[in-house]
Amino acid sequence: MTALEGLRVLVVEDEPIVAMCLEDILDGLGCVTIGPASRLADGLALAQAGGLDAAILDINLGGERSTRIAEALRGGGVPFAFASGYGAVPEGFENQPLIEKPYREADIQAALVRLLG
Amino acid sequence: MAPPEAPIETLPTGEDEFRLIADSAPVAVWVTRLNRQRSFVNRAYVEFLGVPYDEALVFDWRAIIHPEDAMRLLQESIAGEASLETFSLEGRYRRHDGEWRWLNSTSSPRRDAEGRHIGFIGVAHDVTEAKEAELALRDREAQLSAYISQSTAGFAQVDLDGRFTLVNDRFCEIAGWHRDDLMGRTMLSITHPDDIKRNTGLFERAVAVGEPYTHEKRYIRKDDGIVWVNNSVSVIRRPDGEPFGVLAVTLDVTKRREDEASLRKGEETLRLAIEGAGMATWELDLPTMTGQWSPNRFDLLGLPRTPDLRGTVDDWLERIVTDDREMARTAFERCVAKGKPYTIEYRIRRADTGEERWLQSHGSRVDYADERATRFVGISFDVTERKHAEEELRESETRYRTMFEQANDFIVTMTLDQIITSVNPAVLGSLGYAEHEVVGRWIGDFMDEDQVALSLAALQRKLSEGGSTRLTINVRAKDGRELIWETNSRLGLDDQGRPTSLQAIGRDMTEAKRAEAHQKLLIDELNHRVKNTLAIVQGIVQQTFKADANPRAARAAFEGRLSALSEAHNLLTREFWGPVSMARIIDDAVAPHGGDAGRFELEGPDLTIAPKTAISLALAIHELATNAVKHGALSVPEGRVAIQWAKASGNEPRLSLIWSEHGGPPVKTPSKRGFGTRMIERGLAAELGGSVKIEFAPEGLKCVVEAPLPEATA
Repeated sequence: MTALEGLRVLVVEDEPIVAMCLEDILDGLGCVTIGPASRLADGLALAQAGGLDAAILDINLGGERSTRIAEALRGGGVPFAFASGYGAVPEGFENQPLIEKPYREADIQAALVRLLG
Repeated sequence: MAPPEAPIETLPTGEDEFRLIADSAPVAVWVTRLNRQRSFVNRAYVEFLGVPYDEALVFDWRAIIHPEDAMRLLQESIAGEASLETFSLEGRYRRHDGEWRWLNSTSSPRRDAEGRHIGFIGVAHDVTEAKEAELALRDREAQLSAYISQSTAGFAQVDLDGRFTLVNDRFCEIAGWHRDDLMGRTMLSITHPDDIKRNTGLFERAVAVGEPYTHEKRYIRKDDGIVWVNNSVSVIRRPDGEPFGVLAVTLDVTKRREDEASLRKGEETLRLAIEGAGMATWELDLPTMTGQWSPNRFDLLGLPRTPDLRGTVDDWLERIVTDDREMARTAFERCVAKGKPYTIEYRIRRADTGEERWLQSHGSRVDYADERATRFVGISFDVTERKHAEEELRESETRYRTMFEQANDFIVTMTLDQIITSVNPAVLGSLGYAEHEVVGRWIGDFMDEDQVALSLAALQRKLSEGGSTRLTINVRAKDGRELIWETNSRLGLDDQGRPTSLQAIGRDMTEAKRAEAHQKLLIDELNHRVKNTLAIVQGIVQQTFKADANPRAARAAFEGRLSALSEAHNLLTREFWGPVSMARIIDDAVAPHGGDAGRFELEGPDLTIAPKTAISLALAIHELATNAVKHGALSVPEGRVAIQWAKASGNEPRLSLIWSEHGGPPVKTPSKRGFGTRMIERGLAAELGGSVKIEFAPEGLKCVVEAPLPEATA
């Protein structure tokens, strides 16, 4: 199918519908969704558990920033992209890709390809 | 007088009679013979010599002649006798008492019947008094003559036609004409045309009634120059009283006139200067308390000028308004009594217009060397304009002081070293300091270093470019709070335009800045929510329009879901995205599905949930209701849905919510979990952080939610 077949992608997204949508997109790309996690603590636990190929992080999680998850991922060498409606990555992560909401399937695919390329 | 001759010659007939007559005469009489012997002398003769008669006949006259006259008299006597004619002698002889007497003698030849010369008969008058009078007269004339010719006064005599008949040198010098030019010329011909009329009148009157006069007039000199003279004029008369001319004593007064003119000019200049400066003067003669006012003093008080320019102390006091009168009177009286000068300001009411004016007056007593105070001198001038200006200034100061005190804005003045010299109460209110804790301090004591640097840079800019500078600066309040001030400052300049101070006006922008930041946050949040909402809509679209979906059913489902989303948003908007009531969220969500027909039974406490949770809950309820209408209890008229929630107590408060349908057709477990189910089971569970379970029980679908009570719940 694609180069992304079987990729284990962590999804951290606090909006259920958006998370479901992202899950479907990843499913369509042949990826395996880890999560989705809607809270900082859940996301952080999954990030620290390991076994991830990539991650897509919503920046704002019900009022909390997902920065700590991003730090954990960076520490674990897991490539990841932010997803946000804000249009700006958190301070200290200027080099990370940003997927602007609302996004299309192609956006997700391109971001993942870039992350792994 | 002839020397004595040989005695006794017979006297002619009637000799006794002659002797009798001769002796009674007051003059000396003697008779001589040809041999010059005296044959007779009378009593006056004997008495003059003071010797007996016989001695008198032979007395040698030469012995008593004054030495100064002796030579002349002897010569004249010899010559007279030799002429045989009557001759006279006059000279001084010593009388028997030793006194020198002037005697005037006349000797006449005597002849006999045949006409032969037989001797002389002489008479001598004592003319001493007449002679001395004549000599004295001659002396006086000589003195007068010397005086006239050498006098500093000029003398000129004119006849009744005014023609010069006599002038002295000095007159020529004064009048500027040579004596020869003047003789025969009339005095009017050298008189200034402007003085002729008056001169003529005085001259004619003097001649007519003999009245002397003194006047000043101008002569036109030969060189056309003009000389001012003072002439004292009197008529001169002949012994019979008939006037024949006029004598003038002339003094040159040109210099005096010039001095006077110059003095008058000086006085006039001074007077004009004083009046020009608006100063009115008055002088008071203290012994009589009568005062002389300058004309403009009357004007100043609005009084008519009196012809003699006299004004009294009361005239003045009456014009002063009642409130100020006693003060002025006291100052004046103390000055007059004790010599204490005064400077006072008071109001008067003008006599003519009734207008109130302010005057300033200075008074001094003039004390002379003998310490008699005789004069008081005062000057006054109108200071109304200045007073009004002062008044306005005072009002203006009060006004500005009020503004300074009352302003909400901050007003700070500083030296160029940024030492605070004054602040208004608004500053103190904002900073929380007392005035003494601020005034005299450096502004750096109230702000951080970087802010001081900003302020210094602005000051440098003003010093080099002038104008004012706007600055947003952070200031520290006494309690450490950082305040944001917006200031506008400029330099205070002196008369020469040199900067002397720094003035700043400012206002606290802390709240405004906070509001601004808040607004920015809101806009960012709104942007985020819109984007988020769009992401949700996109998700709904993706889930609703699957490849295998019935397009019409999918569209209806989409509309329903979008509508539920929209309802939830409406509620959140109404609640300003704050916590919302759970009952309201559920009620709104079921309403489109027959909620208003009483088919839903809602039961639970009044709990509130966070906005984001509310959206998930609303969408979940919507999905459940849609399913109930399509396949469940609400697909038949008798079917009902009960929604019950409760707050369960435990270690942490928990929410339990149960959706249960009944009265509907038998429920079958669906072969495939659709969007709705996933949305409820996973989405809401994730959102709530709890568990959501849907049971497809045959008697009716049941959904059980167990979750920690959301934080927003009160």
